[in-house]
Amino acid sequence: MISARAESNRVRRRERAGVTTLPGTDARRVLQLILAAIWLLDGMLQYQPSMYGTMFGQMIGGSAAGNPGVIANPISWNAALVEHHQVLLNTVFATIQLLLGLGIAYRPTVRLALAASIAWSLAVWWFGEGLGAVLSGGASPVNGAPGAVILYALLAVLLWPADRPGVTAPFVAARAVGAPVARLLWLVLWGSLAYFALIPANRAPQTLHDMMVSMSGGETGWVTWLENQAAAALAGRGLTVSIVLAVALIAVAAGVFLPPPLARSTLILALVVAAFIWVLGEAFGQLLTGGATDPNSGPLLALLVGAYWPLATGGQGEDNDARPGEKPA
Amino acid sequence: MSTPAWILGIFAAMMVLVAEVSAGQLVLARAWTRRGGAGVGIAVFRLLTGIAMAGILVPGLSILPNAVWEAAFAVVTAWFAWCLWRENRGRGAAAVAHGPYAPHLVQSAAMLYMFAALTGPSATGSPGTGGMSGMEWGSSGGLPALHAPTLALIFALLLIALTIHDLNRQADADGYFQVAGRRPGPAGTALAAAAAGPAAYTAERLLLSAAVVKGCQVAISVTMAFVLIIMI
Repeated sequence: MISARAESNRVRRRERAGVTTLPGTDARRVLQLILAAIWLLDGMLQYQPSMYGTMFGQMIGGSAAGNPGVIANPISWNAALVEHHQVLLNTVFATIQLLLGLGIAYRPTVRLALAASIAWSLAVWWFGEGLGAVLSGGASPVNGAPGAVILYALLAVLLWPADRPGVTAPFVAARAVGAPVARLLWLVLWGSLAYFALIPANRAPQTLHDMMVSMSGGETGWVTWLENQAAAALAGRGLTVSIVLAVALIAVAAGVFLPPPLARSTLILALVVAAFIWVLGEAFGQLLTGGATDPNSGPLLALLVGAYWPLATGGQGEDNDARPGEKPA
Repeated sequence: MSTPAWILGIFAAMMVLVAEVSAGQLVLARAWTRRGGAGVGIAVFRLLTGIAMAGILVPGLSILPNAVWEAAFAVVTAWFAWCLWRENRGRGAAAVAHGPYAPHLVQSAAMLYMFAALTGPSATGSPGTGGMSGMEWGSSGGLPALHAPTLALIFALLLIALTIHDLNRQADADGYFQVAGRRPGPAGTALAAAAAGPAAYTAERLLLSAAVVKGCQVAISVTMAFVLIIMI
């Protein structure tokens, strides 16, 4: 009774204030909008002056190293193409990403933009990121494995504006693909991160220390200080940190199969891990160096957590982007 | 190594268009209403921002010294802050959060920051020319870097959030994108427009339409975020 009155008062206050409910702004739409914001940021970062120098082509070419020939050759071809048509291609890349962000945010084009973002992400994952070094043995969860851009594709699939008929989704990510598939994707992602945490290159004593020191290059003062402090604290403790990280990642991977209260705990752990990765491992995506192409994987992992957060009343919101007939009966 | 001038030129052209549209809205507000209210202030802000941003992007379009722009945006920022405070007292925090003042306060504060971060001693060129010809340009031909880049990134992120918020918002939903405190087509306006001819009436409807206002709002936020990021 009290809560009903409070709700009634809240609605009256909102009406007096002229605040209207926006149709379709449910949890999934909010996550789509955050994804749109990240694409928009990516597009703008791609316009940075440093991207019009030789660095960008070299960065792409560098991702071919260690990959099998069938993967590496197209990357090298792409890098050469970018180096020869630097201004044109970089502008095209930047504009595509800008349009993806605007397209996802603008309701009439959300499906088109999400579909295009999947194709674009897969292309960039291969031709621009060398499959996130997954096959070259250099992937580390702390510096962006399995390649930040593949997470955009995953999010676009999970946040697709459709609902499975007759099914009440337990979390947003399950609305389009169903809970079993969504849980499997989560397991594969976080399970692979746990595996990468334990590969020899990442559990060497100085690996984390060296990674953090290298991330501080070109950074603004307070980020450099933060990275150097963390590097000093973790010096010589690569194996311990790798084991702790792998255990946390395995707990997170299994978390979505647990009952909601426990699942929430593991999702909070996932947020903590994402924050650790983004702040210390990725130095906030090096956004302040003038050379970042995206904010890296940390924010995307956090966004994924939002997509898997258990819903109190099932996943069907008032999303008017879902086509008629796609909602449950 | 810099962002090509023609890209900056495209964004500058967009800002000139925003300034022209805003000027048109102001003319309409002055011609057909006695009282434009807050919308007039917002249209003035868009006009100033369009001109100032065009001058940042293309030095040839700069018409005022940086110090003048800095003072102008300090005044505008203070005005939006006052409007926000007044709105908060009158209609509560919820109205403030969903009203037009908070976004414009962010935009004007970002403009103020942009000019303030450039007019410091190490950001300007020689003392003799500092602040007299719009933005001081770096030796590489690109835009100069800003002081306190962390602040630039924070403003850029806020502006991106505003862009997404505005794009997601339906243009004609709740008057958020209305101009000059009035809707196109009330009785007095229709009579005046009819007297002026159908072309003028169409122009008025177009300039004052929520979609055009939304477009201007998005264009300003995107361009400001773009400039802040490439100047980090």
